[in-house]
Amino acid sequence: MSANLSGVRHTRGLDVFKPLSVGVLLAMMLPLVLLPIASIFIFGLSSGLGTFWQALTAPDAIFALKLSFITSIWATVFNILFGLFAAYVLSKYTFWGRNALIVMISIPTAIPTAVAGFALLLLWGPYGILGRYLPADMQIMFTPYAIILANIFVTFPLAFGVIMPVLETMSRSLEEAAATMGANRWQTFWHVTLPSLRGAIVGGALLTFARSVGEFGSTILVSGNLSGRTQTAPLYIFAKFNEGQVEAANAVAIVLALFSFVIFSILFFARDWLESE
Amino acid sequence: MANPNGGAVLIDGLSKRFGTASVLEDINFRVDEGEIFVLLGASGSGKTTILRIIAGLENPDSGRVMLHGKDVTRLPARERGTGVIFQSYALFPKMNVERNIGFGLKLRRQQNSSIKNRVDELIELVHLGDHRAKFPSQLSGGQQQRVAIARALAYDPEVLLFDEPFGALDAQIRTTLRREIKSLLKKINVPSIFITHDQEEALELGDRLAVLNAGRIEQQGTPFEVYMRPETEYVATFLGAANLLLGLIRENRFVSDEVSLDLEDVGHFREGQSVKLVFRPEDVFLRRPENLSQHYQPLAEGTVEEVSFVGAFERVSVRLASHGGQTIIVTRPKTETAAFPLEVGRRVTAGVVRFRILPNFTLASERAGRVA
Repeated sequence: MSANLSGVRHTRGLDVFKPLSVGVLLAMMLPLVLLPIASIFIFGLSSGLGTFWQALTAPDAIFALKLSFITSIWATVFNILFGLFAAYVLSKYTFWGRNALIVMISIPTAIPTAVAGFALLLLWGPYGILGRYLPADMQIMFTPYAIILANIFVTFPLAFGVIMPVLETMSRSLEEAAATMGANRWQTFWHVTLPSLRGAIVGGALLTFARSVGEFGSTILVSGNLSGRTQTAPLYIFAKFNEGQVEAANAVAIVLALFSFVIFSILFFARDWLESE
Repeated sequence: MANPNGGAVLIDGLSKRFGTASVLEDINFRVDEGEIFVLLGASGSGKTTILRIIAGLENPDSGRVMLHGKDVTRLPARERGTGVIFQSYALFPKMNVERNIGFGLKLRRQQNSSIKNRVDELIELVHLGDHRAKFPSQLSGGQQQRVAIARALAYDPEVLLFDEPFGALDAQIRTTLRREIKSLLKKINVPSIFITHDQEEALELGDRLAVLNAGRIEQQGTPFEVYMRPETEYVATFLGAANLLLGLIRENRFVSDEVSLDLEDVGHFREGQSVKLVFRPEDVFLRRPENLSQHYQPLAEGTVEEVSFVGAFERVSVRLASHGGQTIIVTRPKTETAAFPLEVGRRVTAGVVRFRILPNFTLASERAGRVA
């Protein structure tokens, strides 16, 4: 009734376009987005929770999930620190080549992940430009370190991209006020600048982490995809599916999907909380 | 200025250039303990730069900044101990009122208990008792400003520097706030420097003021002195309204077209020198022709061209019969308008009670030798 009333108010008649257009929107999203996500859950839980749990607790599955999380945490820590540092320097100083530097930081998002992985191999691989000079026991390719390196590369500009605009719009007079009150550079950063960046840091970290956990293209090239050693969760899904173990793949897929929902919800609903007090 | 090294703040020959543009030229003034000094100027006059140089946020090309006898010109901002009240207040958004006020003391590594006592004291002083736990975004503009002042006062600043502190507030609040702040400053006896482009604000707030124009101080003195005895045309027109007539000095008189005014003292003006007659709209009296009393000197005859009511007084513009029909502005209080109502087109005689004679410099370079 109320929908009709508002329709009357605006158009002096039943607005058929409104229900029709919303319907079309839903009809388009169903096969493109909603159904694929739903089928992970429908399929994964169709043989019962027991099967699901068994598949999930398989040692290789647990290892893959753990490896994904740990390598992603390191990549996130690094990229947050780097992003903070880069944003601070680039927003505070103007110098020749500053814009070029900003573009260079942002480039990794534009590079296909498979190309990124390949590039890392060419540099650090056993026959790579630098890798060939590393002693055999210090080779980093095909180890968890390579996964971290790949994660850092593909998520490089994400935290920077969130922090930089906040820093740039932050009033210069805040820092000046702190200086006249007696604060040195570090005290100003710690007590004044950093608290205002809290929302941006948490947001940037969640983005980086979410992107790292799901990374596939670069990881499959640099990790070697060794089950129980360098196989991350997305690689596990791919491998198990190839081996025909659909339930195993599906169980890990459900965990990754749920995880991304959680991160997305935090970003979506907690934005106000992160920005304010 | 008997004691050149005295004063809480002494600004000595400050100059600054940005590229080829000169921003400040030989700025000199002093502010005494507990005194309120106002730097009045239009935007671009350099007033903000002076404030930033005193705070240490900008470096002068030459000249010295002395705070309580100490030369701080080469010290960084954080070692000067000035209290700056920024136009936007620049309160720390993630700190509540208490922590904003206590921040300066925390930086000075004071004990928490003594910080708390001082913060309590200041919150009391600026009447923010009900808001002590609030964050800046939850406060009104006036409350934020009081926090900014308390925050600067916390560490006993050498001087308080106010950067257009009322610029962000609406007209009604400005007036109340500036009275509040003036009485607060009188209570605490800290030297203060205000910058503003608002002449009313400058007159009301300042114990003394300086009028800045294009990076130079045109004149400084008490508001009364500067208003009553402007030394340059710029000061006369920037601080209050002023009428100007060009003329010459002739035999102890100011002569211009049909105007001839008796000068008690020609001072240092030469016979025949080109000068300007400057008089304020409220110092002009309008009478029926041939009806002037001896209290004022007859100026000229003219025709009322426009009468507008502007609240407390009436503004009349009179087109002079002489001077190529130049118009002068006259303001009249209610008593006057009742005794002698005016309508457009009426012929009147204008007389002046008070006026100034200023040299008529045609070249900007001559302005350096201003009247004493």
